Amino acid sequence: MSIQEVGHKAKESIREYPHKSIQKHTEGFQESLMQNLKNREQEGMPSESVKAKRECTCAETVSVSGKEQTVETRTESRVNVGVTGNAARIRISGLMNQEAVQTVEVRHMSYEESDNIEIAVTEGYTLKGKREGNQVYVEAKYEDGRLEAYRVDPAKVQEQTRQRIEQFALETAESI
Amino acid sequence: MEHKFEKEQRWEDLAGEYQTMLYRIAFSNMKNRADAEDVVQEAFLRYMKDEKPIQNKEHEKAWLIRTTIHICMDILKSSWHRKTVALDEASAAQAKNVWLPYQSKDDSTLEAVLQLPVHYRNPIWLFYYEDYSIQEIAVVLNEKEGTVKTRLRRGREEIRKILCRNC
Repeated sequence: MSIQEVGHKAKESIREYPHKSIQKHTEGFQESLMQNLKNREQEGMPSESVKAKRECTCAETVSVSGKEQTVETRTESRVNVGVTGNAARIRISGLMNQEAVQTVEVRHMSYEESDNIEIAVTEGYTLKGKREGNQVYVEAKYEDGRLEAYRVDPAKVQEQTRQRIEQFALETAESI
Repeated sequence: MEHKFEKEQRWEDLAGEYQTMLYRIAFSNMKNRADAEDVVQEAFLRYMKDEKPIQNKEHEKAWLIRTTIHICMDILKSSWHRKTVALDEASAAQAKNVWLPYQSKDDSTLEAVLQLPVHYRNPIWLFYYEDYSIQEIAVVLNEKEGTVKTRLRRGREEIRKILCRNC
């Protein structure tokens, strides 16, 4: 029996089971996987394989004398902070703009010293903020015992930001 | 005579430093003003009476908090209190009797915290409202750090349930 004949027989055997469609099943899985990945990207949730620090390069299309040119306009560095182990629901900050937010050493500031306080018992964290010149010092304490401190420049924070640390820094800067 | 004056001055300083904080802790347990004030007085009296060697400020603070909580527990366990406690339910008005060192934005959560069972209430109160760390709470309550973390998490879940029930 030659190899060609075996191949031919194999094709015939597939034809005998018209409902058996392995390839289609695989395509469906790939589709759902791609959709999940897209959804994750849209939600701004980094996948597990993504490292804590990553570079986002934004490109902008500029029209110059009738011709379109793609120019790299800015490189934004983002830091993944405020992620609390496996307790995703008390993740308050996610990705923050590193230009506006810097991680600094924790000072153990008391409530009395703070200009603004947020106690989020149901979310499992507390925030303390203090204005320091043009910047805001923010201290976050999480239910798992972690302490984190940031120095935020409110001028560089986007008003539409969805990051809690950035929002809190804006609130602190505005509170008199 | 001078020694007595110095002692009195020291008690006054001590009361000035810890009175408000101890009152808040006592109030979170007793849920009424009169009982909380009695508890704080009793804690100071025990401190004066015992004259225990205090190592440092942190030790002093931890001792006073622990004693305040123990006095609260003793009163809450007493048969007299169990017969009268039904009249002293925590309410929104009572929650406002807690003089926090800052403006509380959410009275409903504070009220829910006061409704928690005592083994969840104390760690949550110390962690969120008195700004204690997990290590400090473990020392004050004489529990393991892991136990404190678990109680914080479970207490938070209970608060969510209470808030859901009320809304």
